[in-house]
Amino acid sequence: MSLKKMNDLVQSCRRLQIGRRTLLKGVGVSLALPWMEAMGNASEFNSGTNPSPRRFAALFMPNGVRADKWSPKKIGKNYDLSETLKPIGDLKTKVSVFSNFWNKASDYGDGHYVKTSGFLTCTTIKKSLGIDLNCNGVSIDQVIARKIGSQTPIPSLELGIDPVTVGVDRNVGYTRVYGSHISWSGPTSPVAKEINPNLVYQRLFRCCSKPGKENQDDLLLLDQVLDDSKSLKNRLGIGDRRRLDEYMQSVRSLEIRLKSLRDRKSNPWKPLKDIKKGGGPADPSDHQSHVRLMLDMIALAFASDVSRVSTFMFGNSVSGKNFSFLDGVTGGHHEISHHQNEKRKLQQYQKIATWHVEQYRYLISKLDSMQEGDRTVLDNSLILFGSGLRDGNGHSPRNLPILMAGSAGGRVKTGFHVKAKPNTPLSNIYLTIASAVGLKQKSFADSRSVVKEILPVG
Amino acid sequence: MIRSAILFLLSYRTVSMREWNSKPDGSRFRSKSIRIAASVFLPVMAILFVLLCQQPSFSQSKLEASNLKKKVESTDEFDRFRDFSNKFCIDCHQGEDSEGEFDIEGLVQRNDYRKDYQIWKKVLQKIGDQSMPPSDYEQPLQTKRTEITKSLEEDLENFFCGKEFLPPPPMLRRLNRTEYANTLRDLLGISIDVSSGLPEDGAGGEGFDNAAETLFISPIHAEKYLSAATKAIDHALKDPRSRRVLLGRELNQGETPLDYGRFVLKRFLPKAFRRKVTESEFEKYLKLFKIGLDRSGSFQEGIQLALKGVLISPKFLFHVEQASGTGLPGDRKTKTMDSAIALDDYSVASRMSYFLWASMPDEKLFQLAKEGKLRNTKVLTKQVQRMLKAKIQGRPKVRDFADSFVSQWLETRRLGREFLPDKKVAPRFDSELLGGMKYEPVFYFEDLITSDRSILQLIQSDYTFVNRRLARHYRIKGEFREQPKRTDLKKGGHRGGILSMAAVLAVSSYPHRTSPVLRGKYVLETVLGQTTPPPPSDVPPLNEEKVRSPSSLREQLELHRKDPSCASCHDAMDPIGFGLENYDILGRYRTRSGGKKIDNQGLLPDGTKFSGPVGLQKVILVRKEQFHRNLTEKLLGFALSRGLLPEDRCLAKEIASQNAKNNYRIQDLLTRIVLSRPFRETVMKSGSNDSGTNKVEE
Repeated sequence: MSLKKMNDLVQSCRRLQIGRRTLLKGVGVSLALPWMEAMGNASEFNSGTNPSPRRFAALFMPNGVRADKWSPKKIGKNYDLSETLKPIGDLKTKVSVFSNFWNKASDYGDGHYVKTSGFLTCTTIKKSLGIDLNCNGVSIDQVIARKIGSQTPIPSLELGIDPVTVGVDRNVGYTRVYGSHISWSGPTSPVAKEINPNLVYQRLFRCCSKPGKENQDDLLLLDQVLDDSKSLKNRLGIGDRRRLDEYMQSVRSLEIRLKSLRDRKSNPWKPLKDIKKGGGPADPSDHQSHVRLMLDMIALAFASDVSRVSTFMFGNSVSGKNFSFLDGVTGGHHEISHHQNEKRKLQQYQKIATWHVEQYRYLISKLDSMQEGDRTVLDNSLILFGSGLRDGNGHSPRNLPILMAGSAGGRVKTGFHVKAKPNTPLSNIYLTIASAVGLKQKSFADSRSVVKEILPVG
Repeated sequence: MIRSAILFLLSYRTVSMREWNSKPDGSRFRSKSIRIAASVFLPVMAILFVLLCQQPSFSQSKLEASNLKKKVESTDEFDRFRDFSNKFCIDCHQGEDSEGEFDIEGLVQRNDYRKDYQIWKKVLQKIGDQSMPPSDYEQPLQTKRTEITKSLEEDLENFFCGKEFLPPPPMLRRLNRTEYANTLRDLLGISIDVSSGLPEDGAGGEGFDNAAETLFISPIHAEKYLSAATKAIDHALKDPRSRRVLLGRELNQGETPLDYGRFVLKRFLPKAFRRKVTESEFEKYLKLFKIGLDRSGSFQEGIQLALKGVLISPKFLFHVEQASGTGLPGDRKTKTMDSAIALDDYSVASRMSYFLWASMPDEKLFQLAKEGKLRNTKVLTKQVQRMLKAKIQGRPKVRDFADSFVSQWLETRRLGREFLPDKKVAPRFDSELLGGMKYEPVFYFEDLITSDRSILQLIQSDYTFVNRRLARHYRIKGEFREQPKRTDLKKGGHRGGILSMAAVLAVSSYPHRTSPVLRGKYVLETVLGQTTPPPPSDVPPLNEEKVRSPSSLREQLELHRKDPSCASCHDAMDPIGFGLENYDILGRYRTRSGGKKIDNQGLLPDGTKFSGPVGLQKVILVRKEQFHRNLTEKLLGFALSRGLLPEDRCLAKEIASQNAKNNYRIQDLLTRIVLSRPFRETVMKSGSNDSGTNKVEE
């Protein structure tokens, strides 16, 4: 990154209320570090009277975990970190582990697809090669984004690593679109994810730019698009209108964002300074740096308050990502997950799961290092980590591996191992999350109640 | 005579069974006892009937019999299934309290393949993959199982042949990423790809990313389209060459900027919207131009604004199709049923160009559309031939089609994305090799089209396309560069055809080792169009410790196949894969692996023995009809941008058989697809003002 670009970044980061000093300090010493390391403490953030924003992110891991090395033995506050959970280390007090929760609606259908698309919806996915694709619900992140997304320039940020998987799976009769999405804004609308960190970076910073002539022009053009769409819509058959509606929605939400940038008064989120052009991170060279850069983007979006809701997919379902970059691992993730209880494969499977937990730790510790008022950004967030199946060998959506960090500003208790009754709905956790971030939701999908164990007394 | 008697008997039995069973007080127990009685009583009747039928005086009954047959029309195949289901299914799947609310008896009685198509498919799948009957119930013999599913499948398939065809109402479809990039390239004459910021498209239908059903619009799209349009227009106006393409000409002397803007937009709009543009549409964009012009006095700023507006209009971003002749008053109102109706010329032009070029129509196609000639079969045939030879930037324009189609059909698009070889196993895998591997099937397919070869050359041939790195990989001697070029292969050698292409062999392997199972499945599914059900969940383990060398892998898989529930699929998959074991994960030829000689023998379930890649090519060629049909279905699905219906598959079968008579020439095959009804027609919905496509605006 050139000095000029760095300067721009500093400007923008200051506007984003991340300490200039901290960042400048970083420039000298940490160019060798992963790109976002320079961001350090967000010390000036929200020291005013505003209540801290509440945020939610969900990290999805494909292919499950090694079952016998996941769950802590002890329950409650003094739980022990299992072998897989070791990387959480000193952040244990801010991370809860959930046992015995299941996603009943996905206990059906062959393979992974239902367990991926249904992970955040807790609904049963319709078997389809495309024509009648339907997830029968809305994912929890989108439910939350509908409610609190309007407070930030980007209502929700969907990120991932893999492009949509090529083709359809005739074997089991599902389009691989299902395996490539966890966020659903409606039953037939999977939300596309971004996989290029540089583009995400540009997008985040565009959201902060001071409106200029382009902004006016863009609004003019969007107006024209809506006009064209309306006249086109009148000519279309009913069945034909759906995609056009989707486009109009997409245009409208951009219009709202541009308008709120222009009419600062009506905008609860106030950018302070202009940015010329942000430099971005270079293209990642390997899987680990790719994952970390994407997690950096979540941290950046949360710290700068460009977005408060995010999802991230470590991989698409049935991901055959080659993990031989880990010592002692040979082969693809999915193939290894079908370990058939062979010792050698189990060991590798275990290493891959541990690696995922390490990346989770990377994000939460980054968020925890960003001070905001008397708490950290992590404290004001809820960061979920999980997989749609427990053990890749059996594909069962029972006793799913689920972690959650942060307390949404003290609204849930952290550092617990919650061992619920077997087959407690996963949606109970989502309902708890929804209410902690401020939704007055009575239920979500098949939920029966909130997870009382993590609610603060009184 | 005897046959009709049996038919009578069976239909009679069905009718009477239904009557008995539908009695409100008829408990299951009771109906069972009646069935037992009937099964004794009816054969006696049958013998009697056969005897009686042989007497001439019974011609009257013969008529009645045939009437009855009509009432519950069924084929031999259907009857065989009925017997099967009576024995194995209906104990649980009968009536209202059917297990899993799956009433097979009712399904058989309704005998309505069209309405129950999906349910029948499910029945076939469940019997085929042995999930039904459940293992603790009486099991049919494996041969019986295979026979019954095969015969019913054929019956189901034949049912849809020769019927009046009605394509499904189309779904408004946006340009996918490839189409978007190519369209901007042709429309603006730009050489940069501004599509890379757009989200990836998933695939639906027959497995292609142009399927209407999976081309979603996400919240992020508007933003991405806007920034892509900005980038594209800014770039095009700066580059002298594309400026010419975009503007047509520079400002004439004495011409006002407004007139010039008018000229540019008049020319640009119909091309961008790929059809005639009304005066009011034109005025809207002229207004945008004027806003830019008025505030700055600069033509540049005005045209920038207007053109950007065009590129984010749904009329540019979507394939907006229109039915022809809908302008005729009263025509639509008199229709009482949904009906197929020809697409208008502009829609046909776009369908052709997005099929064969993955891009917008050119001047010639627009001209023919304007003249109303694109509904003429001869014109279409001629145009297809022209399009298949057309060039862009010095190379065939069909490369874009070849690339999109082949990389998805053969799933070689996974190379470098979902599939990356393990560095420990393939340390020398680099980007030039990746490029060579990826483009081999694309260039091969492109050449197949431009040289109008037989599609059977996809299976066996004596030439291929390699770049420098791939040539070394294949140990082919000669002068090569980074760009792939055609090379002859050794006569009688193992290489030639898609099954020996490195990209194909790679995407059908694990990152660290080859898998006869994956490759066998790949050949069955991708090449022959045969699906294999997923493995049952309680698979006995394959001992990976011992799978170090291919020969022990073979032993392991042989053990695995001793289990009959595994054998039914693996007997078909594994031998095919073993035939390809001479190729490593990146398709390099080898005779030894892990210190042992490779055994490339395969024994197919029908007793066919073969060895090695050449033997396998012969095996596929014996099944060339199946391969041909599969490829035709894929091409048709790609051309129609949607999943195929049973009727479409029937059409594909017909097209393939006609094409076979024409020596399997690929140009003939593509032409037949363009000339087919679903390609040129759309559906008008009855009883409302809604057509599947758009009404004419004027």
